[in-house]
Amino acid sequence: MTRTGIDADRAPARAVYREATEREPRHRVWAGALLAAGFAAALGVAVAGIPREHAPLPLIARYALDIAIPRWKLTEPVNEIVYGTRGFDTFGETFLLLAAVISVVVITRPREPRRGYFGEAAAGAREQEQDDPAVGADATEQEARSAERLEQEDQAQKSEHPVETPDAVPLGTPAPERAEAMTVVVRTAIRVALPILAVAGLYLVVWGYSPGGGFPGGAVMLGVLLLVYAAFGRRKISRVIRPDLLENLELAGAGLIIMTAFLGLAFQGSFSANWLPLAQLMTPLSGGVAQLFSASELIEVATGLAIAVFALLGISHDWARDEDRNSSGDGEQGQ
Amino acid sequence: MILVNYLAAGALFGTGLYVLLTRRNLIKIVMGLSLMEASTYLFMVSLAYRAGSTAPVLLSPPAGKTARQLAHGNVADPVLQNFCLTAVVIGVAVTAVFLSVVVRVAQHYRTLDADRVRAMRG
Repeated sequence: MTRTGIDADRAPARAVYREATEREPRHRVWAGALLAAGFAAALGVAVAGIPREHAPLPLIARYALDIAIPRWKLTEPVNEIVYGTRGFDTFGETFLLLAAVISVVVITRPREPRRGYFGEAAAGAREQEQDDPAVGADATEQEARSAERLEQEDQAQKSEHPVETPDAVPLGTPAPERAEAMTVVVRTAIRVALPILAVAGLYLVVWGYSPGGGFPGGAVMLGVLLLVYAAFGRRKISRVIRPDLLENLELAGAGLIIMTAFLGLAFQGSFSANWLPLAQLMTPLSGGVAQLFSASELIEVATGLAIAVFALLGISHDWARDEDRNSSGDGEQGQ
Repeated sequence: MILVNYLAAGALFGTGLYVLLTRRNLIKIVMGLSLMEASTYLFMVSLAYRAGSTAPVLLSPPAGKTARQLAHGNVADPVLQNFCLTAVVIGVAVTAVFLSVVVRVAQHYRTLDADRVRAMRG
């Protein structure tokens, strides 16, 4: 039995009901260990026979290295493979990412129509008021509701004492109870690091003839957004982090990728073939269509990851009523 | 001895599988899946390694060598590095989907224990 289980058993009077108590049963420990060890052993035997560090490169790798400069004028074979030789693979991956983002958006969406990732609870307040009184509420439920009301009044309270920027608060002022921005040290550090990070992210994409590309660049851009969110609070990014803006940008990126790939079919007779003139070696435009693909991928990845992360962060307090509350235990009696 | 990396990837995969088989906490199940994912990254990057090789970058070849010689010389496998790049992005996206499902399961059933989620009992 785990520690939480013991604690809960010792104090049955204090805990009227247990909310999402963590019970950690270890099912089939030996069977699981045996199966996992057996599978790992089988994997070990399998990998013992595969080519190791002295094997010659596979033909496809040698081919990609061979054509990177003559055909794509790219000095970075990995980028040439991602956006050129195996461009179709990347094309499919893009839409896998898009499907995952759409799944997250659908799963996390609140009941009421949404405009922003945050503060949607206020919009649903009317429905909540209509729903709740008939059911009645016990002490815990009331506590939860008052906490939620406090959270909603946070917005109103802030507008009573308008502070232009967190920096306007003089040093030494006690922090507000629900601090939205971080301390002046963190804010200053992030102000310095932010432009460097943003430029580094763009550099990874623009200088496509050196290691980088749209995928790492997009991840860096998400890092920039999350740093602003963590340091300055959600109101600072609410003008940029809006579902309508991000989702349209994401679909525009996807549309650009489809266009890039299909224009290859139209102009060159081959899907995702290069149809752009190749610039001189080691210039930002040297990859032709690979660079366009990479830039679209930057939009796609940055906005897609941002949508997924902020949809998860802004997920509403949409808890179902606890049916087991008045029964004797925590739902274990059925087992 | 790149074989050690291969075996470590296998062990990591086995650890993830063990977590999946023995734990019922949904967050831990997602963590187990992430471990299995991470093992494939390690495996693919290790597969790309060649003894004494350079990175597959033709940008500034060492003195006395042309980019073409570099392309025919001893370099790491760029195709597997591409696979790893792809896998990382998909891994992030899939983990986000898992976690949002877990949050909704927790809100609906008020538990993270897969055994107490009635719809999953079969």
